[in-house]
Amino acid sequence: MRNRLAGLIACLLSALAPAWAQMVEESLPRDPGALDFIQGDSYEQWILQSLAGDALVGLGPDGRVVPRLASAWKRGKDGTLTFTLRGDARFADGRAVTAEDVLWTLQELLRNPKASPTKRAILAGATVGIEGGRPWLRSPKPLGRLLMELARIPIAQRQHPEQGTGPFSFRKEPGAWVFTRREHFLKPQVEGIRFRLLPDPAGVMAALQKGWLSIGAPATRRQTEVPASHRLVTQPMHAQLVVWSHAGPGPLKLLERWRREAFPPQLLGQNARPSAGLWPTTLGFEPRVIEAATPPPAPGLLRLLYATGDESIEKLLLALRERARRDGFDLQLVPMEEALLVDRLQRGEFQLACSMVVFDPHPWAVLEYLEPKGPMNFTGWQHPELAEAIQRLQTPDVPAWRDLQGLWARNPAALPLLDFHSVIWVDRRLQVEPSPLGLYLATPGAAGWRWTQ
Amino acid sequence: MDAVTKRLAPGLLVWAFGLALAWGLPGSVWKGATPPPFPWAALFPAALAAGTLALAAPLLAWAGGPGLASRRPLALLEAPPDLLWACLLLTLWPAAWGPPGTLAWLLAFLLAALPGEVRWLSQAMPSEYPFPQAWGQEAVSRVRRTVLLRLWGRWLAARFPIWLTATLVLERVLGLPGLGTDWFTRVALRDRPGLALWVGVLALLWLLAQPGKGEEP
Repeated sequence: MRNRLAGLIACLLSALAPAWAQMVEESLPRDPGALDFIQGDSYEQWILQSLAGDALVGLGPDGRVVPRLASAWKRGKDGTLTFTLRGDARFADGRAVTAEDVLWTLQELLRNPKASPTKRAILAGATVGIEGGRPWLRSPKPLGRLLMELARIPIAQRQHPEQGTGPFSFRKEPGAWVFTRREHFLKPQVEGIRFRLLPDPAGVMAALQKGWLSIGAPATRRQTEVPASHRLVTQPMHAQLVVWSHAGPGPLKLLERWRREAFPPQLLGQNARPSAGLWPTTLGFEPRVIEAATPPPAPGLLRLLYATGDESIEKLLLALRERARRDGFDLQLVPMEEALLVDRLQRGEFQLACSMVVFDPHPWAVLEYLEPKGPMNFTGWQHPELAEAIQRLQTPDVPAWRDLQGLWARNPAALPLLDFHSVIWVDRRLQVEPSPLGLYLATPGAAGWRWTQ
Repeated sequence: MDAVTKRLAPGLLVWAFGLALAWGLPGSVWKGATPPPFPWAALFPAALAAGTLALAAPLLAWAGGPGLASRRPLALLEAPPDLLWACLLLTLWPAAWGPPGTLAWLLAFLLAALPGEVRWLSQAMPSEYPFPQAWGQEAVSRVRRTVLLRLWGRWLAARFPIWLTATLVLERVLGLPGLGTDWFTRVALRDRPGLALWVGVLALLWLLAQPGKGEEP
């Protein structure tokens, strides 16, 4: 009897074991807060929302717009964009998605002053409605830009900002964010994903080496071998370390030269390389140089504010300081807590300041530097021809982009120093699709992962 | 102004300053992120840790007496920072057991906090030479007990806010978010009302631990 009981327990345990093994173990560097499709606004919240929600459209791994919650869309003569919703999309509670849900989500984002600033900026100037049971949207933005940006807005259930239609259902456990596979049109393969909060890079490294994480970013400062259980995955990113100048383009002209020579390859590691040009080449921009700017005379003093906390960035900035010294410039590095730096940037109280920027995956993202109320226009940059130039940016490949970059190149307010790649370790048994959007934010994202064993 | 108010005034002033600091914390967040909800689930482990420490430290101080304060082994145990204990635990933790949980966190917390607290209490105890040592072990024990009972409330009031918030390093390394992570996140996100609430609650705890009217401080 006792043997039978032991056998039964062993059978039960072996039946449970694969289910445990199929969960993908992940970590988050920061607490994303409660899942909220209206107010949530951070990179971590974006990951949560992409798992538990569906936007009307998605972005494929190659960055193209693909259907998601909407199976099709049509542009009317007056610029109105009308969406046809999928018939098989359901919220986590089983209710079908309706045009009213889409309308409520978009209207709530426009109405609620506490709603995500990123999403509100996407919908700025837009009007929404329903016609013939289909949701429509009219916006002053060009169609290409609008569609790409709409991929950032998952649809929530009416009056339930925490309820989405995504391929995974969400539940919060103490210290963990757990997503479990559900019936969904993207047909997710992995059983689920469990995120733990691991803000410390040493903690992430130990968890990766002990096999407690299926995916994770190794500490960049260490040249550690990838453990046998994992493989190295490198993804291009639209991320740069950008320097803003409130002293005109002169200092940027110096930095343009120094960035080519300052950073030794062993210091750059696997995930960084000196930037080329003024705008991210990963977004399709040609590398341009700063035109007609006179650098300040040597010897001189330059004060560069930066956010503390990233050891590898601090070392690279020290290398930059040494390069500046060779030209007779004293580049004073002023470390600041991140929120204090943001405050100084927003008030324009700086000579030079640098920060990490992750661009949205489309060329219109650079308009944040240029537009009068752009979130990265910290120096009040303006140009009389800007409004007209922006009007001509209908698609990502029109020549107007070159003209716009020409305006910027004559008098830039910011210059990228470094381009970053995402270097991660992924469990060898887990098949994932890398993309410039990372592993989660593209379509199908995590729904396309599968275990090979 | 009565004696109790006069005695509490400097402390209240410090807390008021802390509150003003929380409300007026400079800085802003680039893209407005919503502060996380309060981690109610972390209250029990925090209470367990604080409770264990509140009992274990006086017991050890009672057993060791004021002489413990000058013991070199205790100083050696006290010296390593929380980060070292957390990393040591993480390194020694067998991979097959899975990530360390709350009990491991509690162990690391006690290893990090207990030596310092025992020394704090031992240092505050009066010398036992020549008396009560001359009166025998029983008298020594009784004096230690009396002293520690009188010290206990003030010690808790002084150290409790530190315990509640100083677990941050352990939480970050072990991946077990708790109260330390909560206040740190609120600082990073500039959640001023949330921080003010934190300061207010700690001030209230301090106030409750103060001796009242008729009680000798």
